Amino acid sequence: MIHLAKDKTKAMVAVHGWSGILLGLLLYAVVLTGTVAVFAEEIGAWSAGHLATRSAFQRPMADTLRQLGDETPAKYREAVDLFETGDHDLGLFFHRHEMDGGELISRGIFYVVGQDGRIVHRQTGTNEDVYGARNDNALSAFLVDTHVRLHVPNPWGLLLTGILGLSMLVAAISGLLIHRHLFKDIFTLRRSGSPVLANRDAHSVAGTWSLPFAFVLAFTGSFFSFFGTIGVPVVAMAAFGGNVQALTEAVYGNPGKPDPRPAAIGNMDRINADAIARAGAIPTFVTIENFGRADAKVTTYHPPKAGAIAPMSLLYDGATAAFVQEKPLIGPKPSTGGTLAAIMSPLHFGNFAGLLSKAIWFGLGFAMCYVTYTGIRLWLVRREGGVRSFAWLERTNIVVGLGLPFTLAVSAAAFLLTMPIGSATWWTPAGFLIGAALVIAAGAIAPSAVRLSRWLRGATGMLLILLPPLRLLTGGPGWGIAITANQPIIVTLDIAFLLAGGWLLWQLRGRASAPSQSVALQPAE
Amino acid sequence: MTATTRRWIRIAFAGPGAVLIALIMMAGMALWLPGGAAGIDNLVLPLILAPLIWAGLFFHACLDSRLWRVAIVALGMLLIHSALIADKYLDKSAASTEAHR
Repeated sequence: MIHLAKDKTKAMVAVHGWSGILLGLLLYAVVLTGTVAVFAEEIGAWSAGHLATRSAFQRPMADTLRQLGDETPAKYREAVDLFETGDHDLGLFFHRHEMDGGELISRGIFYVVGQDGRIVHRQTGTNEDVYGARNDNALSAFLVDTHVRLHVPNPWGLLLTGILGLSMLVAAISGLLIHRHLFKDIFTLRRSGSPVLANRDAHSVAGTWSLPFAFVLAFTGSFFSFFGTIGVPVVAMAAFGGNVQALTEAVYGNPGKPDPRPAAIGNMDRINADAIARAGAIPTFVTIENFGRADAKVTTYHPPKAGAIAPMSLLYDGATAAFVQEKPLIGPKPSTGGTLAAIMSPLHFGNFAGLLSKAIWFGLGFAMCYVTYTGIRLWLVRREGGVRSFAWLERTNIVVGLGLPFTLAVSAAAFLLTMPIGSATWWTPAGFLIGAALVIAAGAIAPSAVRLSRWLRGATGMLLILLPPLRLLTGGPGWGIAITANQPIIVTLDIAFLLAGGWLLWQLRGRASAPSQSVALQPAE
Repeated sequence: MTATTRRWIRIAFAGPGAVLIALIMMAGMALWLPGGAAGIDNLVLPLILAPLIWAGLFFHACLDSRLWRVAIVALGMLLIHSALIADKYLDKSAASTEAHR
């Protein structure tokens, strides 16, 4: 039970309402795309029909690494990133660090080595080019980019999503403070009352159950958004006279005496095998510092061990391939700051316990979307019959709330149609814009909010049902092939889309002639 | 002081004031927090705590019935951390002047 004086409760209700109304629709877009992006990796495999299950880190790569090291100009051998790309192909980014307009970037040569060991791609560019969208991951990259920065150029996009995170933090804390009977509210769902009262209860129950989650998401999300854009430059200014590279080196680097003597890189296959055995999991990422020097260091990054939340990393001597130590993700030794920073990522992405934690994060994210959408509706209902009309906002709420799932489904369809011809990076966002234009047009011409809602639910339902056949028709692997290749996620997502689409269409049955919900103001809030 | 003036002062502390003070505190904390076992806590903790510091300042400005207390806490934090940053920069410029002599 939280007891606030009446005037303070009133102030908190106003803060809660305005924090949602001013930025609620953008926040909804960020939370919904973030909810879907929890399964970005799985959506990537489903959409591109990836069937390989053997990791690039389980295949021999030592000779290829040495050969590419010899081919790469010395200026780009400061560091190498190794990671999986496409259908378990190996990506190698030889690069150097440099400052670009006050921002620390990596510039170098990016190679992709296919499953057969041949180099299938070679590109000169920066980290933005290397880690950006490609034809086969355009859909998942689009989802992630929408969530991270709403496609607004950096740093403004990150600042915007950071501000949205803070507004969510305010909504979560003020939502907690305005509960007079927190535990009672968690279990109160009055179905027999008026529709407004039932909606208010549903908002309150979903919001209360997901409050801790909302707090964690908002806190970690704003941390990620402000980390590089504001936090690092500000702390670097105070501690290192503005030298961002020195701060990065202090926090992420592996201290040691420099030894610039030339030395061939150690056996990377031995390092990979040892790291997989020690961590019990395939590396998600591998970095090599000072490639080709006697003081080269290899760090392998792995998912958390069973029962742990923080990811783990292992340090190897690059020249000898000898194991050095298990090291924290951040900092050379375990520390409070390093541990807290290391758990921010799994807490935000929910990827610390495989598909189970991801499914929980997806469900709670969906609850947050529901809370944001119904919160705006409740705010509107409380002002029904007032001096100012908010009919435009009610319609906008439906256009965004129900239109966004439709536009995401359109972008998925656009991806499936254009990936085989190699133009998915262009058509995936274009499909989103086409879907958005259709939704806005529907919002403008729909005779009523109820009709608009029905149109959007129906269209989204039909499109979701169409996605699996579309995937098959455009050359995606069938269920038998996917199961045989040990990729059940393709079948699972197909079924999930069919069920979600069917559920949306099922909800519409027999409601065409039903009276619209009463929006008469009730003493619900 | 009228109720409207008090209200605007409170809004100033909760809005731009909280953002500014959180930024100054983030920079200042890097100078007084202990480095910890790995020598990085003073660099990492301000980055992690920044959203919570902002939220603390925001809700304090909204909920504390005594405006003078809001002002003392906010301006006190601002002054202490600004002084730490100024001290660091004055030290640095004094050192560089010495080096040039």
